[in-house]
Amino acid sequence: MTTSSPRPINRSAVLGVSLWVGVLVLLSHWMGQQAYHWLPVQASNAAPLVDGLFSFETALGTFVFAAVVSVMLWVMVFNRADKYDDSDAVPIEGNTKLEVIWTAIPFVLVMGIAVYAMRVNHTLGVLGPMEHIHAHNSTEIQGGYPGDRLPAEQVEVIARQWSWEFRYPGRNVSATELHLAVDQPVTFRLTSDDVLHGFYIPAFRLKQDVIPGRAIDFSLTPTREGRYRLRDSQFSGTWFAANQADVLVHSQDDYAAWLKQASGQPLQAGLSLASEEFSQRQQQKNPGWATVPPAPPPQVNVPGSPSLPHDG
Amino acid sequence: MTSAIPTPAPAHGHSEHPKHNLTGFIIFLCSESVIFLAFFSGYAILKTSALNWLPAGVDGLEWRTPLLNTVVLLSSSGAIVVAEHFKAKEKLWLFRGFWLLTMAMGAYFLYGQAVEWSGLKFGFTSGTFGGTFYLLTGFHGLHVATGILLMGIMLIKSFIPGNYDGGEQGVQATSLFWHFVDVIWVVLFLLLYVWQA
Amino acid sequence: MTSATFPADPKPPAGWSRYFGFSTDAKVIGIQYIVLAFFYFLVGGFLAMIIRGELITPASDLVDRTVYNGIYTMHGTIMLFLFIFPVLNGLNNLLIPTMIGAPDMAFPRLNTAAFWLVPVFSLLLVSSFFVPGGPAAAGWWSYPPVSIQNPLGHFINGEFLWILAVALSGISSIMGAVNFVTTILRMRAPGMTLFRMPVFCWTALAAQSLQLIGLPALTGGAIMLLMDLSFGTSFYRAEGGGDPVLYQHFFWFYSHPAVYVIILPVFGIFSEIFPVYSRKPLFGYVYVALASFIIVGLGLVVWVHHMFPSGVSQWMRDLFMGTTMLIAVPTGVKVFAWLGTIWGGKLRLTTPMLFCLGGLFNFVFAGITGIMLATVPVDIHVSNTYFVVGHFHYVIYGAAVMGIFAAIYHWFPKFTGRMPYEGLGKLHCLLTFVGANLNFLPMHPLGLMGMPRRVSSYDPEFTFWNVIASLGAFLLGVSIIPFLLNMLSSWIRGPKAGHNPWNAIGLEWLLPSPPPVENFEDEVPTVISRPYGYGSGEPLVEHQEEIERRLELQEATA
Repeated sequence: MTTSSPRPINRSAVLGVSLWVGVLVLLSHWMGQQAYHWLPVQASNAAPLVDGLFSFETALGTFVFAAVVSVMLWVMVFNRADKYDDSDAVPIEGNTKLEVIWTAIPFVLVMGIAVYAMRVNHTLGVLGPMEHIHAHNSTEIQGGYPGDRLPAEQVEVIARQWSWEFRYPGRNVSATELHLAVDQPVTFRLTSDDVLHGFYIPAFRLKQDVIPGRAIDFSLTPTREGRYRLRDSQFSGTWFAANQADVLVHSQDDYAAWLKQASGQPLQAGLSLASEEFSQRQQQKNPGWATVPPAPPPQVNVPGSPSLPHDG
Repeated sequence: MTSAIPTPAPAHGHSEHPKHNLTGFIIFLCSESVIFLAFFSGYAILKTSALNWLPAGVDGLEWRTPLLNTVVLLSSSGAIVVAEHFKAKEKLWLFRGFWLLTMAMGAYFLYGQAVEWSGLKFGFTSGTFGGTFYLLTGFHGLHVATGILLMGIMLIKSFIPGNYDGGEQGVQATSLFWHFVDVIWVVLFLLLYVWQA
Repeated sequence: MTSATFPADPKPPAGWSRYFGFSTDAKVIGIQYIVLAFFYFLVGGFLAMIIRGELITPASDLVDRTVYNGIYTMHGTIMLFLFIFPVLNGLNNLLIPTMIGAPDMAFPRLNTAAFWLVPVFSLLLVSSFFVPGGPAAAGWWSYPPVSIQNPLGHFINGEFLWILAVALSGISSIMGAVNFVTTILRMRAPGMTLFRMPVFCWTALAAQSLQLIGLPALTGGAIMLLMDLSFGTSFYRAEGGGDPVLYQHFFWFYSHPAVYVIILPVFGIFSEIFPVYSRKPLFGYVYVALASFIIVGLGLVVWVHHMFPSGVSQWMRDLFMGTTMLIAVPTGVKVFAWLGTIWGGKLRLTTPMLFCLGGLFNFVFAGITGIMLATVPVDIHVSNTYFVVGHFHYVIYGAAVMGIFAAIYHWFPKFTGRMPYEGLGKLHCLLTFVGANLNFLPMHPLGLMGMPRRVSSYDPEFTFWNVIASLGAFLLGVSIIPFLLNMLSSWIRGPKAGHNPWNAIGLEWLLPSPPPVENFEDEVPTVISRPYGYGSGEPLVEHQEEIERRLELQEATA
């Protein structure tokens, strides 16, 4: 667009392109705002940060995509050869200046996104230490963990084929649904009894694989009261899809009340859809291919309810 | 970049051009080395992250006999170079002699390896230590055996009249393979026997 | 132009039977690869129909969960190892020797062996449907410990056969790669310097180099997996001190570059086809060629981005996010080069061109979701969800498979001597483009909402988008019908093709259609200019007019 260009500048072309770029910028901005609606409710301190980054990337991506598609459509409409036109086009082999520009701009762009993402990463700081532990020796034998290392509320998460168990050490409470207090930082200690699992609460925007032979510390702060879904996100075998649990975020008072009430309840079999389906499956003559039998449902104070509506 | 850089003339007909064989073999060796690289890095990762590396009752590996083995294998690389030297000078019988010597040294290495294996107090299911030890030495041993087999084939082929009319890529490739097996062993020896801390 | 009907080819290569035997002719092997690959494309596609049938309702009600898991595992494995790699090797076999003017591959017998391993390991893999316990059901990643659980305890089980098949596939691919690389490096026509080589050959060279570096790592990891599964070692078993995450490193060290092994040749196809139907040279040929190798270099150091939530430390997340983002730069260079190529051209919207344009559209979309996946915080939310499934189906089906279809329509006349039908081709293109977008776009909102991949049942809030996706999948299933019809009928009784029906520039178009067994035999033309000289009027090779005149004469008199 410089005046030193050898070719005379076509004013209407410049105007048209500028107008179209303006339209695309507006479209991109609108898509960036729309992006928030594609995600579940924001229920943790991580969610606004992740959503902000996603919205930014959506806007940027929309612009790039729309620009590329505009060029393609323009060419397909206006640069078509006539039916009996056998001739070639003007042989332009390349343009070093353009090459430099379209190498440099994406480079700056992606590095910018990377720096933004790294900053979000470090603000989140969800990942605590990851220690190797002896398998099948996770919490029972070691007897919890040193309280001074983890100032937040502590919850042990034990993943199995196919159930989730949540233990509140020091409170003598265990459950197959996860109860948390709003605005109270919580640190999970993730262990698995058998295979890989994924600890994933979409409303919290957080996910961490649970790895046999390791105890992984993982912190977050819920910020919105409600009932959410925890889903197993790393394929764990036959009843992988059914390996879900509810996450309830209460007010501080309700949470304290729940803990108190739960500790008084007797131990009973927790939720395990897999165990139920497995016993039905055993009745069938030709149920399908081989499967590992589910682990027996954990004995917990609070099994919870499997079928209440959730917020996200 | 439009200046004509000399390019190799195309091969004629369907016959496999001998020069390509060596190129193909070198490409294959580069690829093969990655499999060892994978095993080496797996070994290093498992070792550094292990809670208990050595199985109960094992205090480490004895290194003196393997060192002797190493010396024999490394010298065999020298023997094969001498053999190739005589091949180049067309002294076929000296070539065959040193070629056979290389084979014998390789065989001695395998024998030494077998003796070491039979005297060990752990099996390949004894944790990751046993698993990686047998995997690395076994996979390398398989390559040594392959090398000896290749040398045997080359030795027999050397008696075919006119065998070297089309070039001596077979001998070169075998020798290259043998050096490769040697280099791998040096890394392996360092990883398994020297790095025991 | 020259697509008028001519009676018979001057040198008709031997009959149909050669496609069913051990041939050493790269052009026969290429077609063997492609036909076998499309057979498995139908098998894998059938499995996809079952998957989408199950997912059209929230409950697990079509097949048992174990069956679902086996089917989605086999869908992925078959599509990658039995469809896409073989079909690309088929194109390599057809195009590399003819494009560089070689009579055949460097090692024709190795080539035969590499091909015939495909039926062997594919039968091995398919036979796992019939062993007690069913096929492998741990996903095509086959992550331990799930993959080594072996519920029935039999020595021969689905997972065992799966590992053997994948290892054999690796051996076959290595044999192929050694062959392709040697051929490209050593058997080019006189005068064809590296920078006069068609971009398809550049991308094939880049992709096959990746195979050579990456595949052994997967093979190493698979050997250890097999030992754990069948011989009681504990490389990946936490109980014995092993580390399940180690396998993921081996797996992704290969399997991420594997995506470039797939997409790089498709970049090559785009770079070949856009100039032909835009009647313009490829914009920035040197940059496009070199970008392939920058992608190779970067592609080898990005694998951890598949493992951001798998328990890797923060510094690794940051580092691998950076390298992954950088891949956008050379890829962007290529995309802009294609836009520069079609810009101001004289476009002919033939079937191959439409497939390329559709493929480019899908690829740019996939590139943008790829950047989103590269950023750790977003990836943490969407990894292992349908967002990822949508992303890679856009890459693999939306871009790669559409590129492969483009290549098939474009070079079909060259290697069969018959013209494909344009009408059916355009219908196929339309159905594929609409079907793919209808199928794979809804997967993105599903993933953003938090629907994990590989599930056999899901919460009711995901129903709407799943129904759309399933309908799209069924449309894709239908889209294959015009393709098969077109291929069969035009091969049998399509109009005869001249040596250069698209008026394209390249050594392969200076051969008769179909080319004789040894291509140029001893009369390999000397290349005197860059490829893609559209509009420049410069000949590609010495005595080009004479060669073309001779070909036209042959076609006219035959």
